[in-house]
Amino acid sequence: MADALLTLDKVTAGYGDAVVLHGISLTLPENGSLALLGRNGVGKSTLLLTIMGYTQMRGGRVAWRGEDVSRVAPHKRATRGIGWVAQEREIFPSLTVEENLTVAARAGTWDLPAIYKLFPRLDERRRNMGNQLSGGEQQMLAIARALMTNPALLLLDEPFEGLAPVIVDELIHAMKLLLSDRRVAIILVEQHTDIALELTADAIVLERGTVAHAAPSATLAKDTATLERLVGLRVAATP
Amino acid sequence: MLPPVFGVLFDGIAYGMLLFVLSVGLSVTLGLMNFVNLAHCAFAMLGGYVTVTLVNELQWPFLATLPVSFLAAAAASVVLERLFYRRLYRASDLDQVLLTIGFAFISVAAAAYVFGTIQQPIQTPPFLRGSTGFLGLGLSNYRMFLVGIALVVTLLLVAGLEYTRFGAQVRAAVDNQRMARGLGIDVDRTFAVTFALGSGLAGLGGSLAIDIVGLDPSFAFTYLVYVLIIVSVGGLGSIVGSFAAACLIGISDVAGKYYAPELGAFLIYLVMVAVLMWKPAGLFGRR
Repeated sequence: MADALLTLDKVTAGYGDAVVLHGISLTLPENGSLALLGRNGVGKSTLLLTIMGYTQMRGGRVAWRGEDVSRVAPHKRATRGIGWVAQEREIFPSLTVEENLTVAARAGTWDLPAIYKLFPRLDERRRNMGNQLSGGEQQMLAIARALMTNPALLLLDEPFEGLAPVIVDELIHAMKLLLSDRRVAIILVEQHTDIALELTADAIVLERGTVAHAAPSATLAKDTATLERLVGLRVAATP
Repeated sequence: MLPPVFGVLFDGIAYGMLLFVLSVGLSVTLGLMNFVNLAHCAFAMLGGYVTVTLVNELQWPFLATLPVSFLAAAAASVVLERLFYRRLYRASDLDQVLLTIGFAFISVAAAAYVFGTIQQPIQTPPFLRGSTGFLGLGLSNYRMFLVGIALVVTLLLVAGLEYTRFGAQVRAAVDNQRMARGLGIDVDRTFAVTFALGSGLAGLGGSLAIDIVGLDPSFAFTYLVYVLIIVSVGGLGSIVGSFAAACLIGISDVAGKYYAPELGAFLIYLVMVAVLMWKPAGLFGRR
């Protein structure tokens, strides 16, 4: 059997003395899609940061296409093919929109024309500075900037948070196009559980830094009892 | 016919251009990378001694030594950066000051040991000697050459930072190091190259300074004062700010010594105090 794209094996990690993740294991195949669910503060963002290499590993290993990358620096993980879309978007304010896209771009199918086709708004704003964008445009730019590095895996940290519904619809549409291409795998952290489960094939639910539940997304979407217990009331309200 | 005041103005601008080449590298490392490098003028002094040695010992033409002094200072700074400076990027200002001022002292002692404490003479090519008449003023050829070099350096720096991918990576790394790393930018390498470029320019400035202000082992400290004034008056990290401040300080210094000898060298401090009271972050500073 070929190596999985990303494997976490009993990963324990955190910041300094604070351990946030306790023995997390998961496997993501090439072109796979995984929803990462759970209440606030259970370690979802920390898990993404650990995959990028920003946290202190206390145990276990992170493997990328079979190679142990637990001690590899973040920028080298990025060049190996992990694209990170940070929760706060973190657009570079002193760069124009187009410079934000090209500053770390690597050769591949995603180039400026392809990005501007996916997000026409960015084309209109290409000469604006990074800090002159609306929240929705910043989110599009953050996703587009990660795509320009032509990653094999995209880590998305609450991409729909705080955005107007019309922008969310636009982003969901773009994400579906992305996933139907089957060229990139994603791990999606999202508070909107229904959207996350609709977009992904598999899901895990974290609780206090451990994997409390793992299931195919379609199965979990129907399992309202588990969702209510582990994710909370927001889910119970959605059909 | 232009009155003599224009001659003073020209000398002041030329002197300012020299100070600009000396200081712009420090403005970048201090403003963009937040590293307090008080050994900056030691790299300038190294450039000066490289030129003196090549011209006087090996009979190289003066102009040919300029790229060598740039490269020597850049290379020396890379060695120090890799071995020492990078360990202190996250350290306190005091730690950085103690380390780098130590290097400045070492450079002074080393220069005195190798070259002695005397002023080093330099032979510039004939076309850079003497002066050219212009509307009744005698403009020094060497000073015109200085102004030309400084303008080219400014254009290259601004173009490099604003219009190249490397420049964009430097700005991205300064904006947000963590995100820059997360996109695959090798921030350490980017900063090391930036640091080397700044030190190389200091080396070039050290070579250009010999004909104007001379060269002896005290250079590393004498010009550190000017360079720090220019960086703070211009605003940290601003190339245009350094350029403007260097002109201002250069003109003040020359005009002060010419028109008010009793005030002499103190005028630049008054100018600095006045500017910083008006704009505490410097002319073009943002923080």
